Amino acid sequence: MLQYTAIALMMVGLYGLLTQRNVIKIIVSLNILEIGLNIFIISIGYINGGVVPIFTSSYATPAVGFVDPLPQALVLTAIVIGVGTTALGLALAKNIYGKYGTYDLDEIKEGQL
Amino acid sequence: MSAVLLIVIPLLMAFLSILSKKLAPYLLLLTSFAAFALLIVDVLPLETITIGGFTAPYGIELVFDKYSLFSLQIVDGLFLLVVLTVWSTHKKMASILLVALAGLNGLLLTGDLFNLFVFLEITAISAYLISTTNKQPIHTFNYVVAGTVGSSLYLLGLILLYNMTGTLNMLDMAIKLVGVNQMAVALPFLLMFIGLGVEAKLMPFASWVKGILGHSDSFSGPMIAGVYAAASLFVFGRLFDTVFVISDSLNLIILLSLSLSILAGEAMAYSSTKVREILLFSSVAQAGIAILAFMQGYTEYAMLFVALNAASKVVLFMIFGSVAKQIGSDNVSDMSGLFVNHKWTGFGVTVIILSLLGLPLFIGFTVKLGLLLSLFNDQNILFIVIILISSVVEGVYFIKLLVELWISEKTPKVKISCQAALIAVLVALVLVALGVYWQPVEQFVDQYLSLRGGWF
Repeated sequence: MLQYTAIALMMVGLYGLLTQRNVIKIIVSLNILEIGLNIFIISIGYINGGVVPIFTSSYATPAVGFVDPLPQALVLTAIVIGVGTTALGLALAKNIYGKYGTYDLDEIKEGQL
Repeated sequence: MSAVLLIVIPLLMAFLSILSKKLAPYLLLLTSFAAFALLIVDVLPLETITIGGFTAPYGIELVFDKYSLFSLQIVDGLFLLVVLTVWSTHKKMASILLVALAGLNGLLLTGDLFNLFVFLEITAISAYLISTTNKQPIHTFNYVVAGTVGSSLYLLGLILLYNMTGTLNMLDMAIKLVGVNQMAVALPFLLMFIGLGVEAKLMPFASWVKGILGHSDSFSGPMIAGVYAAASLFVFGRLFDTVFVISDSLNLIILLSLSLSILAGEAMAYSSTKVREILLFSSVAQAGIAILAFMQGYTEYAMLFVALNAASKVVLFMIFGSVAKQIGSDNVSDMSGLFVNHKWTGFGVTVIILSLLGLPLFIGFTVKLGLLLSLFNDQNILFIVIILISSVVEGVYFIKLLVELWISEKTPKVKISCQAALIAVLVALVLVALGVYWQPVEQFVDQYLSLRGGWF
């Protein structure tokens, strides 16, 4: 179920990227795509009823169903990178607004590019 | 000393350069020179470096073998060349270039697929910032969107592979993929291929190229078309060489799409009337040829091909970028007669273009001939036909361009800096020297042929 949600989110993001012409909305779509991807990565390591992957006296063997910790570490990195890209995208959006006075790519005429 | 320094020093210097704006350009100059010097002088031992004390499949490892040594020498050498020409004019970019250097070196060194994604993003973000010097925010924005979607697809493919094999290490992944059903590997492979194809300028995925390189100046052009392109193609080579063995049907699909990419690139270059567009579409086609060669297993020729191509594109974009900026347009007709008053630059550019075409006497010929001969031995007719067609089309539009630039009544008033002219002539002389005396190239190919499979 989690994975279907993730894939649905990614598709929503892609749809937004393909249909929207507003710079800010494109950035939002990009973020939705990334969130979907991050949930997908998390879902790879998730086990229903799993436990924290630390050996303790009550969970002394790996047979109890440890959750895979690696995807969670990967997601942390991916989130940080995503925030960086979003910040850069917003800075560019500000530049675009400063230069053309609009966020809408359709309103910027071909000759102005 | 260890090859980790190639990543760590530029990263440290990038932080330091933020503290002092005045020192930043000098730090950049020093660091890029030091990185290149370390690679040329034989002080870094060839080894696999374990990071953080966790051994291979569990921790990250860097692979410093002959493949990464060669690719690092090329990329860092060209990086130094570009930095030498721009460090005094683009002082604000110093910190960004230091981060870019760290990212590029990491991209070529890493032996871990997720680590590769991280370095991919670091280099991509610095590339977006480098492209802002074009002052075309919309094109840069398109580049950001395309690049981010590309790397997201790469990450998705990577995670699917991780789910299948439980490892992120390249060598370990290659071992674990041996018994796996080829159809199951097809989807993640294609996702990763598309993701990397965005950065490597493959045709259907590289819509950003025209906006970025078509408006590039003498800084962003050489950097993105030369240095970055070389690095991303070398990454492709690493993946095809180490990780993936592709099934025949998938091979055919990719072969066809790459062939289309090559032919479309050449056709668009042929029909274009703008100098920078001709150059950028020709490099789209060349990227396709390089990846085809990597994929079919002619790694040593592909490495030489990428190196030559990158060096040529650095010089060409450097010169035409600055000329186009001065004239205010890059139509071929506005530039006609450019070399009448700039004979030395003209000589350099002509030799570089002729070598790119693969005419005899120049090193480009030796490499192309070697590649074609080994293709002929393996009866790979389709690939031979495509390379020959692309060479002919390339020949037509490049010769047309050269004739226009040399023979004309009017001459545009432009200044080409001594630096750029000197670099053009030097690169041209190297191409001629290696073209006449090709023993070193032959030795290189023989040496790498004997290394197949293990690059130490």
